[in-house]
Amino acid sequence: MNSVTAKNIIKTLLYLLLIGIGLAFLAPIIIVLYNSFKGKFYISDDPFALPNAGTFSGIENYISGIEKTGFPAAFGWSLFITVFSVIAIVLFTSMTAWYIVRVKNGFTKALYYIFVFSMIVPFQMVMFTMTKTVADLGLDTPWGLIIVYLGFGAGLAVFMFCGFVKSVPVEIEEAAMIDGCNPFQTFFHVVFPIMKPTAITVAILDAMWIWNDYLLPYLLIGSEYKTIPIAVQYLRGGYGSVDMGAMMAMLVLSIIPIVVFYLSCQKYIIKGIVAGAVKG
Amino acid sequence: MSSISLKNVYKIFEDGTTAVNDFNLEISDREFIILVGPSGCGKSTTLRMIAGLEDITKGELKIGDRVVNDVAPKDRDIAMVFQSYALYPHMTVYKNMAFGLELRKVPKDEIDRRVREAAKVLDIEHLLKRKPRALSGGQRQRVALGRAMVRSPSVFLLDEPLSNLDAKLRTTMRTEIKKLHQRLGTTFIYVTHDQTEAMTMGDRIVVMKDGVIQQVDTPQNLYKHPFNMFVAGFIGSPQMNFLDGRLTAKNGKIILSLSNNELDITNAVSGRQELLQYDGQAVKVGVRPEDLTVDADYIAQNPDKVLTAKLEVSEPMGNESYLYLDYAGQKLTARVSADSPTNENTELGIYIDKLHLFDPNTTVNIIK
Repeated sequence: MNSVTAKNIIKTLLYLLLIGIGLAFLAPIIIVLYNSFKGKFYISDDPFALPNAGTFSGIENYISGIEKTGFPAAFGWSLFITVFSVIAIVLFTSMTAWYIVRVKNGFTKALYYIFVFSMIVPFQMVMFTMTKTVADLGLDTPWGLIIVYLGFGAGLAVFMFCGFVKSVPVEIEEAAMIDGCNPFQTFFHVVFPIMKPTAITVAILDAMWIWNDYLLPYLLIGSEYKTIPIAVQYLRGGYGSVDMGAMMAMLVLSIIPIVVFYLSCQKYIIKGIVAGAVKG
Repeated sequence: MSSISLKNVYKIFEDGTTAVNDFNLEISDREFIILVGPSGCGKSTTLRMIAGLEDITKGELKIGDRVVNDVAPKDRDIAMVFQSYALYPHMTVYKNMAFGLELRKVPKDEIDRRVREAAKVLDIEHLLKRKPRALSGGQRQRVALGRAMVRSPSVFLLDEPLSNLDAKLRTTMRTEIKKLHQRLGTTFIYVTHDQTEAMTMGDRIVVMKDGVIQQVDTPQNLYKHPFNMFVAGFIGSPQMNFLDGRLTAKNGKIILSLSNNELDITNAVSGRQELLQYDGQAVKVGVRPEDLTVDADYIAQNPDKVLTAKLEVSEPMGNESYLYLDYAGQKLTARVSADSPTNENTELGIYIDKLHLFDPNTTVNIIK
């Protein structure tokens, strides 16, 4: 066996291994997808079996799931909370990062370390004190939840934006100042557009987190306003009875928006948008 | 009216570093002035203070008749071209050039006219729809110039605009910028560390070192009459040779003793009474490389003005050669014609009337 053949065999095995790992990651989504078209009693019998003429139930699970969970309202709340939280996080943390990087003093240094530190504090540690404080402040509403998400999301976002702003040549901002920009115009006309790749990355990460988050909305607003993860959880009835069909269908519906959002944004996550601004 | 006046200007940074020290300069309207000096001499800081990008610690800066110490950069009626070009990466070339005018609410058709006019002058009309990343270094530099041009500012500030370009393009752009100055008739302040750029472009040159102005003069005067050893060494390529010497007055003659030679410089410095105070004292002798010759006729006619030095390296440059020599342990460079005969012990004729003498303590030129 010559070395070329050996190399090809290794390459093929490697590809097979990677394809296998890829499928293993995709399997849960695919299983949920085809189970959502099976009658609810057949799902727990054999969750891995594909639907057939006997088990296929069409969109029955979807209809019953939407009816039982009040899906449109839950979808609306999830969308409202996710969109405004992501906008708040991207807008405010990008400005904060710009300030921290460009204004070098003890205060901004301390601020930066506080943001970084906030990333390593586990949610469970502050869960109960935070819930109490939020309730006392009257922030246990969807608007209040947006503020809480801004707080929890700020650490990572500021960290990521700071890393990016450091790579933006300050001369570009000085050129904008000479061209006639005030600080706000400099930020919105020049700095923020350059930050676009990082802003989109932060937006995708935070949108996925907030859209799928169960615990925080459940603790703060769960009794009055149901987001999709909470609504899906309500499909668990008393004494452990679960409508698996409706649950699978609702899971499919809940992941569609975030997948669409990811696919439409991922092309913007490109490196080198700054290339060409300065020498090189 | 775009004259500029800097009076007793200081820049002291928070850590106590004095970047610019008692800077005084009057720049007249339409003048092309060059700030030149080695890295860290304060030339860029001075330019940034004029632009308003750095605060002035002390002193007064006037543009026209207006004191602008506390005026924002956008209200100083200046435009600046940066070393790194500083183009907006997300905007097209057109938008890069139009941006400053849009902020000033100039009517759209006027913006369009000005952008296209500048693009035509700079020969970048075909690039208007491109983004900066799709341009070469030279093209980006033109766009940066264009962005400054469309604003029709009273003062153009250029911070080492050519230092990122290759040698050939730099020469071309040098001429272009010079032409642009003539065409626009605006005050230009140009920062560079390249003495060739300084010599070829400026009406006047400000030579700086450690935040202090060493000399302000026309390129020719700087070259012929450097105020001190720093200016003498900085201006001119290859740089001026410095030799140790001693002056003595004997029988009405002034003799300059070098390591192995005694040169009679009486005629060259006639009427310079101030030299008498250096009688018997050490001086630094400055000789430009082109003021040394291997011309056989000159050497034959002036045997008392000949040094013998050991040739270390000869660098042929095409039409001329640079000879690197050792004269009694001191380094010498001579600039001679390419076909000049050379051998290990080279005889160098010295043009006495072009010698410079410097005080070794103050480094000031004593026969300016």
